Amino acid sequence: MSRAEQAGIEAADWLIAHEDGELSAAEQARFEAWMAASEGNKAAYWRLECAWEAADRVRALGPGAAMPEQKFDDASSRRWRIPSMIAASLALLAAAWMLVPKLPALAPGHADASQVTAASFATSVGMKQLVELVDGSRIQLNTQSAARAQISPQRREVWVEKGEVFFDVAHRRGQPFVVHAGDRQITVLGTKFSVRRHGDKVVVSVLEGRVRVDELKDNRLLRSSVIVGGKIAMAQGPATLVTERSDEKVADALSWRSGMLTFDQMPLPAIAAEFNRYNVRKLVLAGQSIESVEISGTFPSDQPDAFARLLRDAYGFDVEEAAGEIRVSN
Amino acid sequence: MVDDTDIRDWFRREVLPLERQLTHFIRHNWRVEEDVMDLMHDVYELAITGARKGLPAATRPYLFVIARNHLINRAKRARIVSFELVADLELIENERGGFDQERYLNAREALRRAQDGLAKLTPRVRQIVQLRKIDGLNVQETADLLGIGSDAVRQQTSIGMRKLADHMLGGTRKAAPRPQALARRDGGGET
Repeated sequence: MSRAEQAGIEAADWLIAHEDGELSAAEQARFEAWMAASEGNKAAYWRLECAWEAADRVRALGPGAAMPEQKFDDASSRRWRIPSMIAASLALLAAAWMLVPKLPALAPGHADASQVTAASFATSVGMKQLVELVDGSRIQLNTQSAARAQISPQRREVWVEKGEVFFDVAHRRGQPFVVHAGDRQITVLGTKFSVRRHGDKVVVSVLEGRVRVDELKDNRLLRSSVIVGGKIAMAQGPATLVTERSDEKVADALSWRSGMLTFDQMPLPAIAAEFNRYNVRKLVLAGQSIESVEISGTFPSDQPDAFARLLRDAYGFDVEEAAGEIRVSN
Repeated sequence: MVDDTDIRDWFRREVLPLERQLTHFIRHNWRVEEDVMDLMHDVYELAITGARKGLPAATRPYLFVIARNHLINRAKRARIVSFELVADLELIENERGGFDQERYLNAREALRRAQDGLAKLTPRVRQIVQLRKIDGLNVQETADLLGIGSDAVRQQTSIGMRKLADHMLGGTRKAAPRPQALARRDGGGET
């Protein structure tokens, strides 16, 4: 090996070690000794450092831009679309009696893919469902949600068809866990997070760990953002908004898992919409000034009537309770 | 004695942008292709050693004088020196003036080079560099995602880092003829 090559390899090792995190005192001393050993080592290190930093520019292109030939193989998902649609509708029927909070493992898979297990899940209004996948991951479906999962030895995939799903992903080496929600694809590395889908709007709330949200178009990666624990990403069309780190907000967004809804200075119409996700009996607001009222607090998601009575007592609104709706006016 | 911080700034700002010309100069004047990278490495080492006494006022002539003298010394030791070589060296140096536009890359050009460099990596190395650079994954996360060991990730990152630097700074080895289109499509190859 040539001297230049040797120095280059050592320099790259040190650069990677630095990127991995703080060096220990002993490592730092070894690094300094190596740098001091020759000006050639310094040249090699500074040269790589400079080029490697400059290579950060590719980040501006987003993934995929540098590799036009890369396509995401979606053959597997296409193959599954029709059976799973049938499965999804069966599951929807099943949801009516699925009061059992916890279902056993996935249903048996497709005939020609013995290694693959696939299943669909759905919940109706006001339902929650906790499912344990064969890999040990657990997913929890919120009200009015539908998802399907497909687990193979190489890959774990879940499609969020609608609604909201919380994921507690088992850490598995070499078996990536990918969540698809509309044109967003979320890649996970052992973590807890939820995905909420409403039409083309996707909200990812990360409780622990780190996920990557990719925007896909015609199966190609356009952009991606990394979301760490405590952050919420809202994505719609070309935009992805990542909110400031706020563990509290994420906890609020995930309070549905305990059957509660948590609001922090949220306007009444948004709160009503949130309650209506969970209940057949809808909260209806009437009157102009009522819409500007902002409320904070934690309420049981299945008791919109109790919430309405609270509004009556605290704000003096009129509450009319009928069979299909609860009408709040001023 | 100039300290490391100043030397490093100068090296990155003034010397590295000349790498493409420097390797071109060395390659043009040295018949053994395998020596080119080592010679460039030597020139950098000598340039830094010299700059310890004081940063040169004009980096380009400074660097090319070092390169020329180093080539002559090496040639003498190798007993292959000839008047022709020395005369060539002088001539080349006088011609250097016209290349100034190459020195400082604008951002767009730097991006293009980074992109080209990335495209030239083998698919596996490229994937790893992208996971590190674009997705912001660290070694362990990259290893977990791809289901390979973290040592393998470090090794491939090292390869990617060095290849990219060669491409972006211009100190590339003379490319062996390679079946471009085929090589790219093969996929999955390790370096």
